[in-house]
Amino acid sequence: MLPASRIIGIAWGRVGLWVFSSLVIIFLIAPILVVMIVSFNDTTLFEFPPVRWSLRWYGALLHSREWREAFSLSLWVAAVVTALALTVGVPAAYALARGQFLGRRLLEFVLISPMVVPVIVLALGLYALFARLGLIGRPAGLLMAHAVLALPVVIVIVGAAFRRVDAGVELAARACGASFPRAFWSVSLPSVRPALISAGAFAFLTSFDEVVLALFLGGPGATTLPKRIWEAIKFELDPSLTAISTLLVGLTLVALCVAELGRAKTSRETHEES
Amino acid sequence: MDGAEIVRQPAWMRQSSPPEQDRKPWRARPGLMILGAVVFLGAIYLLPMLTLIGWAFRDPKGGITIAQATRLVSEGAYHTAFITTFRTAIITTLVCALLGYPLAYLMATTSPRARTLLIAGVIIPFWTSVLARSLAWIILLGKRGIINEWLLASGLVNAPLTFLFNSLGVQIGMVHVLLPFMVLPIWAVLMRLDQALPSAARSLGASPARAFIHVVLPLSLPGLVAGCVLVFMLAIGFYITPALLGGDRDITIASLIEMMVRDLLDWPFAAMLSLSLMVSVGAVFAFGALLIGVERLTGAEGRT
Repeated sequence: MLPASRIIGIAWGRVGLWVFSSLVIIFLIAPILVVMIVSFNDTTLFEFPPVRWSLRWYGALLHSREWREAFSLSLWVAAVVTALALTVGVPAAYALARGQFLGRRLLEFVLISPMVVPVIVLALGLYALFARLGLIGRPAGLLMAHAVLALPVVIVIVGAAFRRVDAGVELAARACGASFPRAFWSVSLPSVRPALISAGAFAFLTSFDEVVLALFLGGPGATTLPKRIWEAIKFELDPSLTAISTLLVGLTLVALCVAELGRAKTSRETHEES
Repeated sequence: MDGAEIVRQPAWMRQSSPPEQDRKPWRARPGLMILGAVVFLGAIYLLPMLTLIGWAFRDPKGGITIAQATRLVSEGAYHTAFITTFRTAIITTLVCALLGYPLAYLMATTSPRARTLLIAGVIIPFWTSVLARSLAWIILLGKRGIINEWLLASGLVNAPLTFLFNSLGVQIGMVHVLLPFMVLPIWAVLMRLDQALPSAARSLGASPARAFIHVVLPLSLPGLVAGCVLVFMLAIGFYITPALLGGDRDITIASLIEMMVRDLLDWPFAAMLSLSLMVSVGAVFAFGALLIGVERLTGAEGRT
């Protein structure tokens, strides 16, 4: 038996841990909540809590052609980037998980490295390349640049999923006469479907929220939403920004739910099977 | 595996593995599926990076020069940028570790329901736009921001406090952005830790503090190292937060690179600065890899 004083000590330690952690979570979440609440202000000041509530700044966003165009550009760039990253990244993740070839480790390292290379350095290198190819200010350049960042996200998430799945199932399909492409398409891919969904969601967010590459490569011709927000924060700081930030948080929540939904669905399916 | 070896195996083992001639083409193909990614990243990532490194050593006439390197080493103005960058990164890493470890520990040891809540509290900000979060800090901590309005209204201060557009602002913003990168790797390691170990230490008479310091902390070090390396690597290259929340005196290497290209069009020197940034990131990565191994380090990069 532990002495009573010691049990009380543990309880207090636990309480302290909870208080400290709650403060850290508040530090992480509170600023985001405050922006969301401020966005429903009726004044031109950033009042908190708002004295009068309204959707005025959301209306302002809707009526501004600039914001609408930036939003739709970001949306379709992110959609194409997601498709591109999945088409190129999923086979690569499969190769890294199942293949055995010379330099696999090194290759994996290189393919994931864009995650930690400073984006400003990448932006500089791509600026020089795209300037020569005439891709500055073109959405096509942005697509490729964002895909460089989205690809490692797909490779990490889908690669981990392929490693968790038993390769024996694929071998069984092959032994039953399925061709390699068929086994890949109807056995390997469905077995990692939740990872495909979350990888897609995170690839989308990676592109949709990306600022630095957009600033360098966007030029005046291709203003994505983050680039527009950047300019507005630097030069105008008007309340429409809080409304657009709230929309961004909403989009993040949707993407996270999509990613989580895929996961929950599969865990239920495997549960029913067993 | 030759024929003699197959014969020596027990019968059940031979049956369970597919025939040898079938396995070879199956094995050979997965490797080829990487080609798309290799070609793409080779052209849009490796080639520009290598070109950039080349520029750092190219003189206007087409020869090789180390003029940019000597300029970097000899001029005091650039030393200041390096000191600012590394000081900011070190403080960010330490603060993230101090704030992140207890949170990760709680996440690993609490009930599943509370854990889900805490994870949401870490993951949602993690994936929320850095711009939206910088804006949040400007609204909260600005000269006429919410916190200052409250402080003035309550009479605690007579003049608004300066939180932003100095190194404090940069520090707050960067900890906010990078904290999840610290919490998630530590949490992943603590989750795998066998809870029987600290219990065993406790039943043998160790105090909670002693069980933590001698059992849990050493076993969770790989997660802590992975988190610190990740945060430090990202912190030295960070551009957005210092540019939005920092002042004129908080010039980091990243903002120096931007200045060189935007205002001075000095590409060779910008390339040299980029190279120095990449070497720094690489050195931190190598250091981490030496401590805990490459596998653990790259595994910590998974964002889910």
